[in-house]
Amino acid sequence: MEIGSFIKLQRVKQGMTQEELADGIVSMSYLSKIENQRTEASPEVISMLCTRLGIELDGEKDITIKEKCENWFNMLFEVNDKEEIIEAYKELSELLAIVRSDSLMMFEIHKIRYFLILGEYDNALEQINKLNEVSGSFDSLHLFYWYKFKGNYSTANNEFNQAMRMYKVAEDKLNQIKLKDEQVADLQYTIAVTHSKLRNTLESIEYSNKAIDTFQREYNFIRCAQCHILLGISYRRIKMYEKAIKHYNLARRLGELNKNKQVIQLTNQNLGYLYSSIGDSKEAIKHFVEVVEDEMLQINERLLGITNLIKEYYKIHNFEKAHQAIEKANELLELSKENVNYSLYNYIIHTFKFAINEQSDQFISLVKEEFIPYLQKRKDYGNLIEYSNMLAKHFEKLGRYKDSVKYYKLANLTYEEVVNL
Amino acid sequence: MKKMIAAVALGTLLVGGFLFTQDNQPTDLATGESEPSVFSKMSLTSLKF
Repeated sequence: MEIGSFIKLQRVKQGMTQEELADGIVSMSYLSKIENQRTEASPEVISMLCTRLGIELDGEKDITIKEKCENWFNMLFEVNDKEEIIEAYKELSELLAIVRSDSLMMFEIHKIRYFLILGEYDNALEQINKLNEVSGSFDSLHLFYWYKFKGNYSTANNEFNQAMRMYKVAEDKLNQIKLKDEQVADLQYTIAVTHSKLRNTLESIEYSNKAIDTFQREYNFIRCAQCHILLGISYRRIKMYEKAIKHYNLARRLGELNKNKQVIQLTNQNLGYLYSSIGDSKEAIKHFVEVVEDEMLQINERLLGITNLIKEYYKIHNFEKAHQAIEKANELLELSKENVNYSLYNYIIHTFKFAINEQSDQFISLVKEEFIPYLQKRKDYGNLIEYSNMLAKHFEKLGRYKDSVKYYKLANLTYEEVVNL
Repeated sequence: MKKMIAAVALGTLLVGGFLFTQDNQPTDLATGESEPSVFSKMSLTSLKF
């Protein structure tokens, strides 16, 4: 990293103006030239500026910092203890605040990923905004991570179109830099997940296959399992069920070998969904029950499992079991009021509760006045189709054909929108 | 001149329309299916990203 960019970054970080930093050392315009690398300042000037910024210039320390940074960057991609990541971050922050290091810019860029991993999205955004000011001096490697992590930020906010744009720019940078195969595969995997979120099925298959090739060579079994799950989802969507099941089974096998419950249960979740979509409720229920009963799982995953289970029992008219599942779902919901999807699950659970209890007025009022507008606002087209259809069917049963047509039409229009993507 | 203005206006509309369509794609379509995380390698002892 050039000394000029380094000084600029440190000055911005400390909230200092050019005037304040230059005062008594150089003119403001000269400082501006140094920062923008349009001139090379003498070592004395650099030393004075660094002293004012409270920074040491020590080559030996830089080597240690570089190693520590590399370790910390790896921690952000591997499975690691939260406390350990935070501790390493604090140590590096303190060191980099007083020693001039070439790793500083990379550290600042990786902070975006760090905040995202901790779920501190506001801090991640603040870091992005702060780095925007100095992004003009980024080299190709910096730019690769800059775009990748900005994509990660969009992913975390469910803005998958924007995320895809960022990942594609990062992918373009690959020609200009030398990265480890596993790093390249990580980006390919990320793109595969994003394509899957956007329902670009063939692209998701293409990128999953690219990534899995590397992960197999590197014996990275968990990532292999995750790619198999993506392939399972994609093949189900194009109705190649046998191939989808084969990939899910491979994912589960890898999960079992590595004793990784999350992989196993994510496979169960998706297998359940596959069997449900081909009308095999018995198999679907078997898989959903496994997810719901696993108390080691995150609440969000169990809520997805239990809402799927309620739908399946409702579908086969086993209302007693559906009731029990609703009670269990309410218990889980109570534990997750902070969950981002709390409202969604709350609506789903109450919709089925009213439907099963034949509380027609409450059902209509909830779905029509609250749930459907909520889904429209979230652009959650998948659920919008499902619940518009459910409401339309209900109106049809009541002989309210005009209302029924209105919601069948809404479901159809939404479906067309999804197909036209 | 008029033709040029009309062509520029039409071009702007088309590009605007395209960008609008791009940005109005749904954010998440998943209903019961669930993709693995972009961040974690999934371990119960690790962070839940």
